[in-house]
Amino acid sequence: MLRIEHLTKTFGDKKAVDDLSLHIAPGEIYGFIGHNGAGKTTTLRSAVGIQRFDSGEIYINGSSIKQDPLACKRQMAYIPDNPDLYEFMTGIQYLNFIADIFGVSAEDRQARIREYADRFSLTADLAQPVAAYSHGMKQKLAIISAWIHAPKLIMMDEPFVGLDPSAAFLLKEMMRELCDQGGAIFFSTHVLEVAEKLCDKIAIIKEGRLIRSGTMDEVKGDESLESVFLELEAEK
Amino acid sequence: MIGLLVRKQWMDIFKNFHYNPKTNKARSKAGVIGYYIFYLFLMVGVIGGIFSMMAVEICDPLSAAGMGWLYFTIFGLMSVLLGAFGSVFTTFAGLYLAKDNDLLFSLPIPLSAIMISRLLIVYLMGLLYSAAIILPAVIIYWVKVSAAPLVILGGIILILVISFIVMILSCLLGYVVARISLKLKNKGVLTALAAVIFIVVYYVVYFHFGQMIGSLVDDAGTIGANIKESFYALYMFGRIGEGDPLAMLLYTVGTGALFALTWFILHRSFLKISTSTGVVSKAVYKEKTTHQNSVSRALLIRELRRFTSSANYMLNCGFGILMLVLAGGAILWKGEDVFYVIGMVFGPELTLLILAAILGMIAGTIYPVTAAVSLEGKNIWIAKSSPVSSWQVLQAKLRMQLLLAGVPLCFAVLCSVIAVIRFVPADPLMIVLFVLLTLLYVLFTSLWDMIWGVRGANLNWSNEIYVYKQGMPVMASLFGSWIFLIVIGGLYFLLTKYISATVFCLIITVLLAAASFIEYSWIKTKGAEHFENL
Repeated sequence: MLRIEHLTKTFGDKKAVDDLSLHIAPGEIYGFIGHNGAGKTTTLRSAVGIQRFDSGEIYINGSSIKQDPLACKRQMAYIPDNPDLYEFMTGIQYLNFIADIFGVSAEDRQARIREYADRFSLTADLAQPVAAYSHGMKQKLAIISAWIHAPKLIMMDEPFVGLDPSAAFLLKEMMRELCDQGGAIFFSTHVLEVAEKLCDKIAIIKEGRLIRSGTMDEVKGDESLESVFLELEAEK
Repeated sequence: MIGLLVRKQWMDIFKNFHYNPKTNKARSKAGVIGYYIFYLFLMVGVIGGIFSMMAVEICDPLSAAGMGWLYFTIFGLMSVLLGAFGSVFTTFAGLYLAKDNDLLFSLPIPLSAIMISRLLIVYLMGLLYSAAIILPAVIIYWVKVSAAPLVILGGIILILVISFIVMILSCLLGYVVARISLKLKNKGVLTALAAVIFIVVYYVVYFHFGQMIGSLVDDAGTIGANIKESFYALYMFGRIGEGDPLAMLLYTVGTGALFALTWFILHRSFLKISTSTGVVSKAVYKEKTTHQNSVSRALLIRELRRFTSSANYMLNCGFGILMLVLAGGAILWKGEDVFYVIGMVFGPELTLLILAAILGMIAGTIYPVTAAVSLEGKNIWIAKSSPVSSWQVLQAKLRMQLLLAGVPLCFAVLCSVIAVIRFVPADPLMIVLFVLLTLLYVLFTSLWDMIWGVRGANLNWSNEIYVYKQGMPVMASLFGSWIFLIVIGGLYFLLTKYISATVFCLIITVLLAAASFIEYSWIKTKGAEHFENL
């Protein structure tokens, strides 16, 4: 579903991502962990096509993000670490805008908005301007907009930040549902307990380099993910 | 404590004098002093200067007619108006909806200290605005009519009374504005509309002021008698300036009582008002049948929504829309006079060319596209992660520009053509060229604005107002379109000996079409690439 090959991105003299390769198959929830500034967001932004990279390749379902960005973007959705949405729109206007951009039919979008907004208890607030939303409400709206066009791949940067416990639980449920239907999820997080319970595979990045990846058992063995992560972080 | 709070609030109001809003860095001492001097120059030199000239004009005739009180009433009322309206937004933002209310209330600061500091700032701002009118008027009266001790005392009391009335009115109006702003739905459009109405009223009053003052002086006796009979309080208000002890006493006591009442009410309700978020009637979503829009339509709607959501954006980049409509109406209504004046100044053969230049100049003040790329700001990830090309995003911005400039322009051009056919014996070819030239010129400048918007895009702004008010792209858009007109005008006067106006229009039309094509090609290729790299 998502294949990242030898991705390298530098900002000035600093290598934010250094020769990183990852492969995420359909049905997988792939967690991406690392300390602040390790290169998680840069990898995600490169994979989504927001940011150009120096070398390497990124394929979404066989299409190159460099060669055919629109074909790639049609199949995926992205939720950034901070839900900066259009504050001049109401919630429903924003969802309809995203649905228009992805060519979602009127019937499908209505059904999905009804379903997801109800699940997140956001229906009543959809007529409110986004500017009046709390951080958590914006995050919920960003999640609904990501799911509205039924993407095959969703990439998320710290998606649980700002969500209340029931919304966080619901998001985990939705992530699993999508993967059970053949989709894939690639997300970064600092909450290692969530990653440990939720992910099928995990990748640990440090100073732009991938230092460990694989299934949960391969990465952590008998230890907890937290202790493995801290050990790897401590290594020079 | 109060001094500290006042200093903090002062810094908040004049923070742009102390910090560069673009870089958020502190200005140098010389820079800060320079900004304050410039502000004082505007308040004292410009506003004070204008009103001083008016005072000089009417002081003598009114006082000679025994109507010195009317002189003070006129300037006193204008001073109250400017003071109250000038400081109402400071009151609104500083007293009722201050951003740091919650922070200050959580600190061990007495409520009365917070209130006094806030009221003091409201008072100082009101005094600054009102004194710009009443102070020169009082001084001119002292110089020209009388500087007796009682008159001097009266002048000082008048200034103080006015400053307190302004503060009381500001508190009241600020409260109303704060309440309304919490309840308004289409805040952007309504604020823009209110600003436009204010500007129109201002100019109507400004242009008729001389006439109004003239009739007032001519008919001072009757007007004065009517005011004295029907509005005795206004008569007494003016009498303060003349040094009437009874008027001074009544107004001092009355204003003092009103201030005490304001203080009492504010003190009782300040905490409640300041922490209330306003009971906004929350719109509850009701599912409606929706329809699917095409990508290009969805992107265009997004641009138009952004434009209509901000009063500042509309006023700064779209004021010409209204001007074009008004110009079209004026040409249709008073076309004969307009063409006569143009013909007198430039010659009848240049009527259509000058008309095209006027419309082009007005349309040049419509440039929302210049700010449109920068306004993506932190939201740019949405466009970049969506399955739309950079060109599609830019195209939507360009369409918005052409729609906002083009529709009122077509109206103005249509009105002009009708007026020309009615009033001027014009060559049909020249009329066609006038239409083509005007439309192409606006297309050319719109594309020019778009190029600057892309090339000078800045996504890291702290307040969106700096995107459409400052910076090279805005300057290039606004003045660029006027400079092109000057260049075209200069070319005409250079070539007028060799070619006719019709041939000149034909050449410019072709040149504009070619230049527009080059600009369009640049935006589609290099501009889109530039957007991708943002």
